Amino acid sequence: MMPNTTSTTPLIELRGVHRQFEVDGVVLPVLQDINLSVNPNEIICLVGESGCGKTTTGKIIAGLLGQSSGEVLVGGKPREQYTGPERSVLRRQLQIVHQDPFASLNPAHTIGDILSFPLKRHKLVKDRADLRRRIWELLTLVDLTPPGDIVNKYPHQLSGGQRQRVSIARALTVQPKLIVADEAVSMVDVSIRVSILKTLHRLKDELGLAIVFITHDLALAKYFAWEGRIGVMYLGRMVEIGPTPDMILNPQHPYTRALMAAVPEADPDITRRKKHIELRSDEIPRLSEIPHGCAFHPRCPQFLGGKCDVIVPPLLPVPGVTQTVACVNLTPATVGD
Amino acid sequence: MIGVSSVGLVIGLVCGGLALALGIYLKQLRPGITGFIVCTIAGFGCSIIGGLIALFVMAAVIISHAYVDRQDPFTSRAKLEEVDFSETTAQSTMRRLANFGNTVRVSWGALVRNKAGFIGFLGVTFFLAMSAFGPLFIEYEGSAQFSRRVDGARSLFQAPSAEFPLGLDWQGRSVLSHVVYGGRILIVTSIQAGLAATAVAVLFGSLAALMGGWVDGILSALANFILTIPQFPLLLVLASVIQFTDPIQMALLFGFLNWPTLMRAVRAQVLSLRERDYVEAAFALDLGLWHIISREVFPNMVSYIAVNLIFTVRTALYGLVALVVLGIVPLQEPDWGVMIFMGRSQGALFSQEAIWMMLGPILAIALFQLSLVLFSRSLEEVFNPRLRSGL
Ligand SMILES: Nc1ncnc2c1ncn2[C@@H]1O[C@H](COP(=O)(O)OP(=O)(O)OP(=O)(O)O)[C@@H](O)[C@H]1O
Ligand SMILES: [Mg+2]
Repeated sequence: MMPNTTSTTPLIELRGVHRQFEVDGVVLPVLQDINLSVNPNEIICLVGESGCGKTTTGKIIAGLLGQSSGEVLVGGKPREQYTGPERSVLRRQLQIVHQDPFASLNPAHTIGDILSFPLKRHKLVKDRADLRRRIWELLTLVDLTPPGDIVNKYPHQLSGGQRQRVSIARALTVQPKLIVADEAVSMVDVSIRVSILKTLHRLKDELGLAIVFITHDLALAKYFAWEGRIGVMYLGRMVEIGPTPDMILNPQHPYTRALMAAVPEADPDITRRKKHIELRSDEIPRLSEIPHGCAFHPRCPQFLGGKCDVIVPPLLPVPGVTQTVACVNLTPATVGD
Repeated sequence: MIGVSSVGLVIGLVCGGLALALGIYLKQLRPGITGFIVCTIAGFGCSIIGGLIALFVMAAVIISHAYVDRQDPFTSRAKLEEVDFSETTAQSTMRRLANFGNTVRVSWGALVRNKAGFIGFLGVTFFLAMSAFGPLFIEYEGSAQFSRRVDGARSLFQAPSAEFPLGLDWQGRSVLSHVVYGGRILIVTSIQAGLAATAVAVLFGSLAALMGGWVDGILSALANFILTIPQFPLLLVLASVIQFTDPIQMALLFGFLNWPTLMRAVRAQVLSLRERDYVEAAFALDLGLWHIISREVFPNMVSYIAVNLIFTVRTALYGLVALVVLGIVPLQEPDWGVMIFMGRSQGALFSQEAIWMMLGPILAIALFQLSLVLFSRSLEEVFNPRLRSGL
């Protein structure tokens, strides 16, 4: 692992986290050996193809799912060691914003009610006037103005983008330190996306939030996380992680390079000049039959027989760049299992 | 539960008077008068329970009318500094009642808008009103009326006429009077059976789905076990143990027989609801299990439960009638089932004049069942906020 550049303790740290699901007697290793730490006020983007385990990682971070093995440290202490009121406070620090704006709000309650539940439950407001003022402030904070037009509406009376903003406001009721945004804008109109992302960015700056932004859209990750980091996942493993500009301009792992090459640019000339990277196969192996050695080897253009299909590459720093990469051809050779 | 009495009339008038007074006080005369009528009828027909429920609902409706044009500063378009967020407890209570009243009005609108559902609602209301208020207008004929024999006729049976709209039965009694009186215990008992089954089913179903593990195992096994028992042979056996003439015991019996189907449905529904993103968000916000059951899951099941409640009422009604028609339980007049049983044993299957005696109760049962089916179709629109606004 790369040493922490800052001295602050990470908000949350996954150490060698595995997660598996059993479906009809078959054990699916959905996440394997994930090491990831999120610092306060940081943006991390998790990208990767469908089914690579992004949502599962997000849910483990948000505390909605347990790990099968490995450790999850929150504020430097294993999550399981928190009990009682401390546990409740910890739980509230980590919030999630879901992908589907039509499923993320309870259709039976008005927006005002939805926001009031956590405020009342955790006694975050003094009295009724305070409750109403806080709801008003929260709606203003997520750019749902004027709030008076929104509070008494039901979710079905709002647009998808507005609902996602309500979801964000609901997460903010409990003053979290980290928000997992799981494809939070992928189901709203393209025109609305950018403005929601801007809101999220502003909230990060104003409230000192850390954001784990999950997406399969690299262009979006590049736009949103330019000052943060991008982590690329493949079949349940992190294959490369590093500061966004380096990930975009100088990707190391063959999989990351293939992904970056496929990102369309605003300028068609650049798009045309980009070298398309040919993979050996377009098929993503199933989780029930993950290839031996490096899981990417059947598709990798730089496949080396006898090495790639034997050694499971650990995530290691590559000399000369800022990223850590899981590829035996780039990192100093180690003994695999 | 239903039936008129002078005490009920007084209760009804008091509740209605209160509604009217509220209407006058808030300068909402028309809703006030509607409230007066509804509360009086409900109190008269269903006594204190009916009167109080009607009063609460109608009061909310009247208040919601009065609040239509009252601007809550909270919903204004003003700036944060200009808004007054304070609100007294009384104001807050009024606002909530107004919101509830508004929901009632919108739901009523949805009910009226759905043609088939509204016809069903009218049908159900008709049968309930007939059972409650019919005795005010029609006298019960318990003993044989030999004087009605027409000269030269072989029996007392008669086809419908102006005097006896549904004809006469084998003892010369008006079929109409038996139809009016014969549904009272039957309807109340099936509603009680439905309520009992639904209560058990909702409790067990949610517990099984949310707790899983051995709780789920035991409850599901119990439900499946009861489902596999053939019902009529069981009833035959039970006939010797249970007093089938006591309506409460009958209601409990049919409640017991009917909860498993509904419990499995509720369990499946809760299992699907608890996977929703907003339930997951509630877990992340640490809102607690009770909040999640009562505020996140339950409100989205109300229409589903109501539809199933009606279904159970229908099943229980059929079961109760079938027990009588098959002659398993002692005959007690007046009862629609007894009418069918007697009609058959008195030759209604072979004699043309006797057919009227069976037609009355059969039509009553069929129309009541049809009304229930139609009514249940509109419930989804009444309870679902998205559908009831009609957008
Ligand atoms: N509860 C579960 N039971 C069984 N399998 C699961 C469960 N949750 C996730 N999986 C499996 O784990 C794999 C990864 O799922 P995950 O939702 O984390 O992927 P993802 O990267 O978010 O994909 P997408 O981009 O489609 O959202 C999938 O193959 C999925 O089928
Ligand atoms: Mg996902």
